[in-house]
Amino acid sequence: MEKLNNPSEFCLILKYAFKDLGRNYHKIASIIVTLFISLFILSAIFTIEDSLKKELNDNAKALLGGDLEIDYNRNQGNLDLVNKVKGFATVSQMIEFSTMLSTTGREKNKSLFTRIKTVDEKYPLYGNVVYEPMGAYERMQKEPNTILINESLSKTLNIEINEIVKVQDQKFTVIGIIKSVPDVSGFVAFGDWALAGKQTLEILKLNGIGSFLNYEYKVKFNKNDKLEEIEQRIEEIFKDDQKVKLRYPENSASGIKRIINNFSQFLSLVSISAMLIAGIGIANTLLSFINQNNMSIAVRKAVGFYSGNIKTLYYLQLFILLFIITVIAYGSSFLIVPIADKYLSDGLGLNVYPVFSLLNFLKIFLVGLLVLVIFSIPTISSIDQIKASNLFRNVFQNLQFYYSKRSVVLSFVLLSILILLFTVGSEQPSYSLGYFAAFFVCLIVFFLLSKLIIFFLKKYKSSPIISLKVSIKNITQTKSITPITVMSLGLGVTLLLTLALVGTNFQREIAKSIPDIAPDYFFVGIQKGEREKFERGILNMDPNAFIEIVPMVSSGIVKINGVDPNTYIKPDNDSYWVIGSERRSSWVENIPEDNPILEGKWWDLSNPDQLQISLDAKIAKDFNIQLGDIFTLNVYGREIEGEVINFREVDYRDLSINFAMLFNPQFAKNIPHEYLATAKFNSNKFDETEMLEIMPSLSMIKIADYLSKVTAVLNKVFIAVTLISAVTIIIGLIVISSAIMVQGKVKEYQNLVFKILGFSKKQIVFSSLIEFIIIFKSVILIAIFFAVIGSKFIMENIFELVWMFDFKVLIYLGFSIGFVTLILILLTNLKYLNPKVYPLIRNQ
Amino acid sequence: MSVLLKLKKINLKYQTGKDSISVLKNINLNINKKETVSVIGESGSGKTSLIMLIGGLEKATSGKIIYNNQEITGLSEDEVSEIRKKNIGIIFQSFYLIPNYTAVENVALTLELNNFKNPEKEAKILLDRFGLKHRFNNLPSQLSGGEQQRVAIARAISMKPELILADEPTGNLDTENSIMIANILFKYVKEEGSSLIMVTHDPKLADKAKRKIKIKDGKIK
Repeated sequence: MEKLNNPSEFCLILKYAFKDLGRNYHKIASIIVTLFISLFILSAIFTIEDSLKKELNDNAKALLGGDLEIDYNRNQGNLDLVNKVKGFATVSQMIEFSTMLSTTGREKNKSLFTRIKTVDEKYPLYGNVVYEPMGAYERMQKEPNTILINESLSKTLNIEINEIVKVQDQKFTVIGIIKSVPDVSGFVAFGDWALAGKQTLEILKLNGIGSFLNYEYKVKFNKNDKLEEIEQRIEEIFKDDQKVKLRYPENSASGIKRIINNFSQFLSLVSISAMLIAGIGIANTLLSFINQNNMSIAVRKAVGFYSGNIKTLYYLQLFILLFIITVIAYGSSFLIVPIADKYLSDGLGLNVYPVFSLLNFLKIFLVGLLVLVIFSIPTISSIDQIKASNLFRNVFQNLQFYYSKRSVVLSFVLLSILILLFTVGSEQPSYSLGYFAAFFVCLIVFFLLSKLIIFFLKKYKSSPIISLKVSIKNITQTKSITPITVMSLGLGVTLLLTLALVGTNFQREIAKSIPDIAPDYFFVGIQKGEREKFERGILNMDPNAFIEIVPMVSSGIVKINGVDPNTYIKPDNDSYWVIGSERRSSWVENIPEDNPILEGKWWDLSNPDQLQISLDAKIAKDFNIQLGDIFTLNVYGREIEGEVINFREVDYRDLSINFAMLFNPQFAKNIPHEYLATAKFNSNKFDETEMLEIMPSLSMIKIADYLSKVTAVLNKVFIAVTLISAVTIIIGLIVISSAIMVQGKVKEYQNLVFKILGFSKKQIVFSSLIEFIIIFKSVILIAIFFAVIGSKFIMENIFELVWMFDFKVLIYLGFSIGFVTLILILLTNLKYLNPKVYPLIRNQ
Repeated sequence: MSVLLKLKKINLKYQTGKDSISVLKNINLNINKKETVSVIGESGSGKTSLIMLIGGLEKATSGKIIYNNQEITGLSEDEVSEIRKKNIGIIFQSFYLIPNYTAVENVALTLELNNFKNPEKEAKILLDRFGLKHRFNNLPSQLSGGEQQRVAIARAISMKPELILADEPTGNLDTENSIMIANILFKYVKEEGSSLIMVTHDPKLADKAKRKIKIKDGKIK
């Protein structure tokens, strides 16, 4: 931007900026629309993310359930140490487990795999349990065999208050429905769960093996205690206890925070794409606008305005426009929060409220400013090309983007700031950087493509069809706008195709039927002596059922090559769950059919006294594990060392029996264990409730139910992706039409001359069509290539879902986008295709 | 001499918002083959509108235009384009060259439109005839006003039209260039036997035509 000589000159320019903007805003409507839409998306993402994080931070203690959490995972833990803490702080004990909950007394009873949380009278230490009817929670604490169930469970099993349900072999009265609990971070966000009093464990006589028991102690400090001192004191108490994990409020809801960060990063990157594409549109529209004002700029120069003054005039107009639009966009984003609140409170029990953040507003304004300045530099610089002498010659050449060395450097610096703004502090900076790199690679490829098109068409001169010849001439002429059209169209179509492919893959995941090899049911909690009883029970109901039973043991990874993995593997690692808590492992004689070995050898039978481990290859990659590495496992309190001897490809999504770790049976068969089983039925005769009569402690997970819950979550993500895609599509289309607008005046003039010379309307339309087809067919091939890579990366790395190549969808999308773009181009071009002669001849 | 063009009771009105402006009123005019006619009159009298009507670039509100015994007022836009393409050359005060086409390309365009075998070769011959050999590959912005108008004339006559319509052909030029353009135009008309209707403010140029028509307030005086 140019410097102004004195304040009065600036005031004069400012006055003209307001005056011009007031008169010309309708001519730059597409700038206003694209800028508003892209800033609105960005504002909505920032506002929701901020509101959500504020909610999580404000309620960190409530989400954790206390000032500190002592987590013993599958063990009851060292009660002596816990009692020491009770001496100077309030401790609330809770145990979570999963089991079957069944209705009773109905003609056809139903059962559901349910997570039950038993709590003492001190629960919750922070926040509130929201339930109905009044007094139900207090009754649950006092009266044995009472239970509160959540809304989802109540709806799924159609259970009403005061109905009797069965948990294992005990009957419980449902005395209330829970709307929400404060500590969602350690509990189940989606799905079916229930709250029960602490006496429930004794009633059910549960043991640790079969019921997924999880022990937690929440600690609340006294008001006057110094936080750090108490924390240190507790850490000192547990310093020698390796089974315990201490968690603090700042670590609460880490899973939810990670999901929010990942998802908002994806949305932010899509929104910045929308902004950058909008930037191209802004550059195009602005160039078209300056072209329209060509004569008035020349007149201004003729009466004594410096080129710098005029450029400042345009920058000021953009700045004023940006400020107004940012205020409106940021303000409007608050209207989205109640919608987000509805989804989040239903799903997570979190409530979000609009939170005004000056920092966010400034960040959004800065992003808008950077994009606007980066893309308007070459456009506004083109004002230098307009000469006052043009007025005398009556020659007004169509302006071109102008890049001086200074403007290139400035654009580069501003672009770097923009990239830093989106990279620093993001959940995965490498993804953001990679994304920007990919964006600019696309841009460069499309620029080179445009040059290639021009190069080849220049060689093709002898066409008998005049319309084709005119089209080729238009594409190849000096100062042609083909590069900008190809880049705008290319980036727009690439983004549209990428998002469309992500959308269709999402749809496929949502609509996906149960995989062929998946069983109908998973069964957990089959004790060592119950195997035959279980098999008999199943086969009695369906003699043709296919049953698979594998032994199962709980184990935790204590060390990898002698080092505690928790010291160097961070929670943001994709495979952190493997070391986060104890995992179930199994052993098999032969290589599982759906788990092929990728590296290493199957069991070394000559070494039966050594624990050998077969590991999921992805985990090995994530933890940088090599063959021969030694794992120290904690199995029922005993530490055992085992060598990793092979890596398997495990696809958990096939829903068959899959374990992260498999052991050699020669060694593992003597470890105390229970069984995990699956069954695939050939009839509808299997009855869950009947099975529970035979084995009350058995837990059953129906795959169809599980999938429907996953689908519900995916649906919510899909809605967000679809919404942002739709908005980006709108921006993309506006940008594509803006590319046409750039050449609008030239086209109009050119078509007028063609008309005077005797071209028919059909020939003029036909030449426009050919021009579009030549450009689009080149662009679509490259766009498909980028979209396939981009959508695959997004689906597999960001959403961790299956990506599938679907040729039919691509063809359909390619044609649809081409058709819509063509219609849009024709509509945009319509007024230029058949210009009215009189106004043009008269210079009106 | 046979009649090339007949205008019968031509009226032309423009609608500007709620108001209707009568530009041409009850015009009756015959133009013979090989005849040169200059149209003079004050600004806003309707001279250019008359040229545009004859060239088929505007539709008369009422009346008939008969070109070579064929009524063109009832024809479609494309049918009129076809007649114009083959038979009428138009020259403007503001040249109306395509800014991104070179001099040769501007002239060749009309020839290509009419399926000439070597349009660029023909265009070069024409431009050479008008002293523009050294300007073949220049864009209009690189040409002087006189040169631009010579390219425009070359384009207009490239199809050897029966009728040339010229709207202030020297209006944007200096005296020297004006004389040169007028000479080129009249020499060509004489040599090729075309008819010429020329709108001008320049009395000397108007005098070069065989017949002078004065238009005042949309009427022929």
